[in-house]
Amino acid sequence: MGQLVVNGLALGSIYALVALGLLLIFNTVQIVNFAQGQLLMLGAFIGISCAVTHELPVAMAWAITMVAMALVGIVFMVLVYFPLRGRPAFLVILTTIAMGIVLENLALIVWGPLPVSLPSPVRGPPLRFAGVVVSMHQIFIFATLAVILLLQFLFLTKTRFGILMQATAQDLHTARLVGIPVNRTIAVAFAFGAVLSGIAGLLVAPIFLAEPTMGGSLGLKGFVVSVIGGFGNLPGAVIGGLFLGLIETFGARYISSNFRDAYAFIVMIAVLVAWPRGLFGEKSSEKV
Amino acid sequence: MTSEPIIAARGVTRRFGGLVALDNVDLDVPCGIVQAIIGPNGSGKTTLLNALSGASHADAGSIRIGGNEIFRLKAHRIARLGLARTFQTIRIFENLSVIENVKVAAACHTPTSLFNIVTSNARQQQSEAEIDSNSREALQIVGLAGRANDNAKQLPYAQQRLLEIARALASKPKVLLLDEPAAGMNMTESMTLLATIARLKNSGITILLVEHNVRLVMGISDRVTVLDFGKKIAEGAPSEVQRNPLVIEAYLGRRHRHA
Amino acid sequence: MKSWPILALSAAVALAVPVVAHDGYIIQLLNIAILNAIVVLGLNFVTGWAGQINFGQAAFYGLGAYTTAIATKAGLPWIASPFLSVIVVVVASLMLGLPTMRLRTYYLAMTTIGFGEIVRLMIVHWEPVTGGTSGLRAIPGVSIFGFGPQGQMQHYYLLIATLGFAILIASRIRHSVLGRAMIATRDSEIAAEQSGVDTTRIKLLAFMIGAVYAGLAGCLYASSIRFISPDSFSGTQAVLLMTMLIVGGMGSIAGCVVGAVALTILPEALRFLGQWYLVLYGLGVIAVIVVAPGGLASLVSLSQLRRANAG
Repeated sequence: MGQLVVNGLALGSIYALVALGLLLIFNTVQIVNFAQGQLLMLGAFIGISCAVTHELPVAMAWAITMVAMALVGIVFMVLVYFPLRGRPAFLVILTTIAMGIVLENLALIVWGPLPVSLPSPVRGPPLRFAGVVVSMHQIFIFATLAVILLLQFLFLTKTRFGILMQATAQDLHTARLVGIPVNRTIAVAFAFGAVLSGIAGLLVAPIFLAEPTMGGSLGLKGFVVSVIGGFGNLPGAVIGGLFLGLIETFGARYISSNFRDAYAFIVMIAVLVAWPRGLFGEKSSEKV
Repeated sequence: MTSEPIIAARGVTRRFGGLVALDNVDLDVPCGIVQAIIGPNGSGKTTLLNALSGASHADAGSIRIGGNEIFRLKAHRIARLGLARTFQTIRIFENLSVIENVKVAAACHTPTSLFNIVTSNARQQQSEAEIDSNSREALQIVGLAGRANDNAKQLPYAQQRLLEIARALASKPKVLLLDEPAAGMNMTESMTLLATIARLKNSGITILLVEHNVRLVMGISDRVTVLDFGKKIAEGAPSEVQRNPLVIEAYLGRRHRHA
Repeated sequence: MKSWPILALSAAVALAVPVVAHDGYIIQLLNIAILNAIVVLGLNFVTGWAGQINFGQAAFYGLGAYTTAIATKAGLPWIASPFLSVIVVVVASLMLGLPTMRLRTYYLAMTTIGFGEIVRLMIVHWEPVTGGTSGLRAIPGVSIFGFGPQGQMQHYYLLIATLGFAILIASRIRHSVLGRAMIATRDSEIAAEQSGVDTTRIKLLAFMIGAVYAGLAGCLYASSIRFISPDSFSGTQAVLLMTMLIVGGMGSIAGCVVGAVALTILPEALRFLGQWYLVLYGLGVIAVIVVAPGGLASLVSLSQLRRANAG
């Protein structure tokens, strides 16, 4: 049972990372990116291309992937955000879904449909204590999440640019009026958002095999986490992610592993039924 | 038409976080008159209308319309009890034609039967004919009958405001709430609007009017209520209220603070 | 409004097509297109008119198809299957609709996607009954008192007639209290409520009617194509249906039909592109959304407007 907890937390950490990327973009430009899962997939495959196909050292693969994902994030912004500024949310949703379809099928063309594996950047024997086995990779996942949270916190609160980003997130128009380089902050948000998902992909691929269609369900779980934790709420996303990871792992073990993917939705629907505006409230679409 | 006030509100309170938008407001609107609610910006006029119409519920208080307690009742139920309103920012149905906009409200008291609609039977045709004639009547009153089949979004601003009034009339209300109906209108348009309001009053509808343009309001109202910072500070005939030192202070004071 | 010459012309073309195009394969493709059109017409009530995002329409399509397939394969007379499909779909739409009618935009999108996934997982994992990922074959065809359409062409006429009914009913609803209330709910929920419209009830009603359209289309799908699998009703299909609605023109009945037919035929016509088709498809959808979010219908009415202003 303790093993389930460890596995659940590791899985949940990955979900939390997806949610963090999603929320970074959402907090800045109020867009929910339904292609976030495909960005995760892209990160995994770029990493695989480097580490497996070209046999580069895994650390270098990570570095290249992160840079590449930042660029992908910017391209994404250009294709999706700028043309659709001010359009109703419904159309934005559909556009990001369409981007997801484009990315998924490009991946199928480039890398084919077969699942591939990626080695973990860390090696070594797993830790054993209290009847529980924690693999090096799992420890690496926890460590990565912690480091990212710390860096994100320091960046947003202690650096000048980070504070500018927070201002943009709170009120884009006023930020622009005040002279904040809004477009730059938006670009950084998209870039970082993509990088976060890319890292999640690099962390997932060693556990579950990577294949181009993996983005769909992982992306959706990122949303579920955001909903559970409260949209816009970063610590909530982390807690939500860990929570979902636990529910899924326990559910798969004790109820049924076939419906593994469904637990996320069931929890989300349950949360939304009780709190239709989400746990932390969503802006109403119409003001009286 | 009874001697009972058609709107009787007691202790209406509304808070937004720390801000008290309405503070224990009492309101009586006698049947068949035109009553205006005035006050400086942010005094709670629209919030009060919202509480009355069900668009945004009050936190506490009692509101009776035509004898029915409507506190926290859903807006569509209040509408069916005979209250209609227009909005400060225009909310017409852009994807419907002018007459269809009005028909939405005209159907207020018509039960919808999917069976009748799908079979398009005699009862359905009759019901549609009634809705159609009621709607044309309402358009006639505001002078938009000629543009019945145009797309609502093609109307110029002032006519869109009139369309909102026509739509409100179509449900044959006993009480009509008008939220800044003359906003954005020029002199001629405002005069026409006033004439229309007078005609409506003569047909027996009670009208509660929120307006910024105090002079405009004084000409048409039988009774005026003044709000400031969510509290009622004066009520009575227009001439009384105009001379009330509290009212003058509220308006002048505001101007001082902004200067 | 309606222009009779165009309607008559479309009807004539629709009736003549299978005579001209002898190929059984093309006719089957058109049959699927017609079925998709009915589903999209259903989606139009919910999303086009009432303004509720709904990525669960494919799930209702699938529920109708599987209910019919399972019932007829179990030996029930065909005539029962439309009724059974409707019952299943109405129950499902209430289960989804009742708790979610208060949700907005993103949450509604995610919930309907989630619903679609749950239905798909149920179908995939209930193997003994639904055949799992392999689907169900040799589904009995339409049969009323022993009579039923034989061959693709007869099926085509049956489906065209059904589509005609679907369009007629949609049109009647549009020009009734219900249709106007739906559009009012979308344009301004607050003003609609103030005009006496019970917006929660209207949204739920639109949802149910949309689901019924999809369920009946699913029933006919199972009985005409005679083979179903979960892939035809997946989340990707739900997205495809939504794009058919958008490309045709949200809110326009004619747009639904045109969008559905166009986007059903397109992948076949562009089959030579292989995997690239979906890439271009995705980019195309984005292009349409950016350039003409009102779809083809808006382009048509735009040109009509220009002609009216010029003349």
